[in-house]
Amino acid sequence: MNDAYSIELQGISKSYTRSGTTVEVLKKIDLTVMAGEFFVLLGPSGCGKSTLLNLCAGLDVPSEGKILLGEKRIVDIEAGICLQPYERDAAMVFQSYALYPHMTVAENLAFPLRNRKPKLTKHEIETAVKQTAEMLQIHTLLDRKPAELSGGQRQRVAIGRALVRKPKIFLLDEPLSNLDAQLRHEMRAQLKTLQEKLGITTIYVTHDQTEAMTLANRLAVLNQGQVQQLGTPSEVYKNPVNPFVAQFIGSPPMNLLKCNYSDSKKSLLLPDANQEIILQDTDLDQISKLLIPEADSFLLGVRPEDLIIVDASNARLKVELSVIENLGSEWLGYTYIGSKTLIVRSSRELKKGNICLSFASENMHLFPSIT
Amino acid sequence: MKSQSRKFLRPVMRESLISWCLFPGTIILLLFTLLPFAWMLCISFFTRPDFFNGADSHFTFSNYWDVLSSDSLHFLDFVKNSLIISGLSALLSSLIAALAAYAVSRLHFRGRIVIPLAILAMSMFPQISIVGYLYQSFSSLGWINTYAALVLPYIALTVPLALWITLSYFMQIPLDLDKAALVDGAGRLKTLFKIILPIAAPGIFSGFLLVFIQCFNEFLFAILLTIDYHAQTLPVGIALFEGTHGEIPWGNLMAASTMASIPLILLALLFQRFIVSGLAGGAVKG
Repeated sequence: MNDAYSIELQGISKSYTRSGTTVEVLKKIDLTVMAGEFFVLLGPSGCGKSTLLNLCAGLDVPSEGKILLGEKRIVDIEAGICLQPYERDAAMVFQSYALYPHMTVAENLAFPLRNRKPKLTKHEIETAVKQTAEMLQIHTLLDRKPAELSGGQRQRVAIGRALVRKPKIFLLDEPLSNLDAQLRHEMRAQLKTLQEKLGITTIYVTHDQTEAMTLANRLAVLNQGQVQQLGTPSEVYKNPVNPFVAQFIGSPPMNLLKCNYSDSKKSLLLPDANQEIILQDTDLDQISKLLIPEADSFLLGVRPEDLIIVDASNARLKVELSVIENLGSEWLGYTYIGSKTLIVRSSRELKKGNICLSFASENMHLFPSIT
Repeated sequence: MKSQSRKFLRPVMRESLISWCLFPGTIILLLFTLLPFAWMLCISFFTRPDFFNGADSHFTFSNYWDVLSSDSLHFLDFVKNSLIISGLSALLSSLIAALAAYAVSRLHFRGRIVIPLAILAMSMFPQISIVGYLYQSFSSLGWINTYAALVLPYIALTVPLALWITLSYFMQIPLDLDKAALVDGAGRLKTLFKIILPIAAPGIFSGFLLVFIQCFNEFLFAILLTIDYHAQTLPVGIALFEGTHGEIPWGNLMAASTMASIPLILLALLFQRFIVSGLAGGAVKG
């Protein structure tokens, strides 16, 4: 498809007033989803990601801000514009699938087409339903009711119902959460292929960082109604801007350790571990790049796979592994530093007991300490 | 308590005690509820009600024949009135209830919680407390002895029941379906008629059935707001049966009662599932 539309959110806020108290769900969100892009909104539950999606679909009205679809203003609160869902030409897939239980698969697929203005002919509807059903390989199920379908089939029907009308934007609200792990894997890949083939601008909401990493062209990490970081999956993975993003992206999450910087000794002091990390020149470059000059207490972040096992002479950190997990292709070792867990990930077998660890300067992340 | 009862009766003994009591208990309960009906059936099929000691009493269908053929008894008029009044009331009541349930379960407005509760509270008022006022207003409107005189109060009387049964169904329909329909380009009305109402149909239907049964059995309003066979319903008609010499025509009365029970028994047998799920307040998924 060549006529894809971009979506631009400008200063979108949303707050509710419930029994006297005002809750701010979204705070001044600015986002641009480019035409044809697969964009993922990632965040923990309650971060406002689904609300944001509902605002795009027209199921909810923002408290302030503008939304542009291509050149067209679909929401402009100041100007009093807020188009109805059917005027936006957006399609949505829900976590619960929300298939109409009393209609057959064919009727479910035809429903959005029947609401079209100007009216489509019976023949046009039938052709579109057939094409979509074949594309999603549900053409043998057209006469069944949703209750007679498996989870994966329902999912396909829900996607089909969204795509049958060739929408301008494709919105998905945690569409894979109700599937079992294996099917989720499969559907993820198919969804990606489908989106690339059709080239429809897509916004996908999830709390699952694996889905976000694998599906997204770009993603936005949301927390407490604010965009924490925006970028491609690898940008966000490699250079998280704050401890929240660092811990939210990556599985197992990034190790974060409290540490104090000693300028005189050019070292990092880990108060919880009672250890000192002597800094090398490359580290100091990194620190001077990232460090707020006055702060001397901050968080040191290292991803589990960036911790390498070395002999005692090269050790930057000495720990005792107390729990070992064998994941087949890799090993996870757990150790406790103060109240914090430190995870080591290795492709070689790990054993309980004392080990020496090191990490490269470029894999060291520093964040201002939040106390 | 638990340990004491265990000491008193071992679990195995308790189990067998329960199974021993269950059967006779069921029989006693069945006899208690069904005996009057059995009695009714017997009397309706004999020439005299005291058929146990009367030698000249014998089996007959004549009671039924009398009731159906006698013009002065107006039995078929009562049947017609009952069916029309109950059917119309149930239809309108469940329609109002369905729209109200949609509003309460879907729309955000002030008093969304209070209104259904207030409606429920109003259904607790004794009927007798409003019947005097109803009689006065209907007689000044000239509505006494018309269908309207019963249909309107019946709707008011039964909307709470219908609303609560329907509401429990509507609450079970996920809001995602409304959202999906809106995004799919249907307006609110289309969503209501094409998506929500068809899905809630079993709930609305069980409300309809229970309201129909309630109206079919209603006596107080029916006897006070009607005068003769033009509007009288079955319970009132049968209660006012009179023999040619002023005596109580037991055989006819019981034959008429038996026939009056048939529609309700049929309804109950045919639509058991809906009635039970309606009474269970949506606890059982339809």
